[in-house]
Amino acid sequence: MADVCSVVDPFAGMENKLMSFTKAVTTKIKIDQTPRQLIWALNKTKLYRYCPVLPEEKRHRLPLLLVFALMSRPSILDLRPGHSYAEWMLNHGYDLYLLDWGIPGPEDKNLKFDDYVLDYLTRAVRKLKAFTGVEEFSMLGWCIGAILASAYAALRPDDGLRNLILLTAPLDFSHKETTFAKWTDEKNFNVDKVLDAFGNMPGEMMDAGARMLKPVDNYLLNYMRLWDMLDNPEAVQSWQAMNTWVTDTIPLAGGAFRQLVVDLFRNDLLLKGEWFLRGERVDVSRIKANLLTIIAESDHITPPCMSKAIMDHVSSKDKELFLIRSGHIGLMAGSSGPKVTWPHMDNWLAPRSK
Amino acid sequence: MAEQQATNGKPFDPMESWRQMRDTYLETWAKAMIDAVNTDAYARATGAMLDTYLSVSSPFRETIEKAMLQALQQLSMPSRADVLSLAERFTNVEMRLDDMDAKLDRIERALTKAPIARPARRPVGKGVK
Repeated sequence: MADVCSVVDPFAGMENKLMSFTKAVTTKIKIDQTPRQLIWALNKTKLYRYCPVLPEEKRHRLPLLLVFALMSRPSILDLRPGHSYAEWMLNHGYDLYLLDWGIPGPEDKNLKFDDYVLDYLTRAVRKLKAFTGVEEFSMLGWCIGAILASAYAALRPDDGLRNLILLTAPLDFSHKETTFAKWTDEKNFNVDKVLDAFGNMPGEMMDAGARMLKPVDNYLLNYMRLWDMLDNPEAVQSWQAMNTWVTDTIPLAGGAFRQLVVDLFRNDLLLKGEWFLRGERVDVSRIKANLLTIIAESDHITPPCMSKAIMDHVSSKDKELFLIRSGHIGLMAGSSGPKVTWPHMDNWLAPRSK
Repeated sequence: MAEQQATNGKPFDPMESWRQMRDTYLETWAKAMIDAVNTDAYARATGAMLDTYLSVSSPFRETIEKAMLQALQQLSMPSRADVLSLAERFTNVEMRLDDMDAKLDRIERALTKAPIARPARRPVGKGVK
């Protein structure tokens, strides 16, 4: 009788599947697990050193500083054991440091790129050099982190930055046909009114904006993919790790958001050479560090056209543009990370880190 | 049963063709929506919605803020502005500490680079008058 029921009753399987689906969607799993040590902190910003796994003689001499975006958590760089960029780089002999911007509070609503670049990043670099005892270093900037890293490299070209890696860097804002450019146009978006109401730009609003770039993919297909792979625990865990990161939204400091919209998206001041941070002109032609720019071909957040032009503006003699068939996040956190992006980065950086 | 075997040996799945249709439809829909959100009309519409929301909610927000401020004053409690100003001062203090840390690092580095010639040790209790 039991056998007949299990064949005839289609609802039992559906019920189990629904329960597994709900559990997968609502459960946050542990990410960001690679051991690390806090070496410096200022306000909400923290500088961590990932605990090395190789002995000193097998490690590269130059430390690598990771600078992530301001509006998301950097845990995407250390998603889960076995699929973590931080873990992978440690295993390949890098002395790895992470600059975590933290979560801005209402008291940080006036923080601008000026502060992030000239106070926080500059001071963190000072501490990094003092801690390691090495005068030179490499820096990786991803998304808005790439704007910060580029601005730093342009403003402090003689501060020891030897290698600069830019991942999906939104630097060329002359392309007014991009979706974000249209949304943030002054005809459509009153940035002052939003910031008067909220102080900082709420993480939920930015998350909704990013998801609406691909609404069907993010609001429907993402969950249908999970439904189709519920029988595969490894795939479900991977989905959950990504979902845990995506739903961990944080606000962006109001001053920085206003600059992003007005100075960059609307007026394209950076590549025009008219962007000033605390009175200092950000002249990207002063960038002389070895440069690797990595672009994702299917990037809908930072379309490739926004990242390519920097190659013609910098003074770096050693520079490379590398295109990957992937998306904005997928190039590091997806399957192309360990297969393409990370090995290429290692091949480029290792000989330049001696 | 034999009829239910596909030519490649996999069992026949009656839902497969339905799934393919579904995926094709969704893919088309996804592309259409990406194009739709990239139009000026969509940008104007969402901008107008946000603007309306902010305009309508503004009087309520202000009323609540004023009421809260008065209530906190009556209770002799610090207001949001008081706490924020304190937080800003803490950050300022942290900056000064970081400046001192930088100076100490510089001094330490200078000392290790140029070791001071130490005087020869004198026996304890001798030579001191």
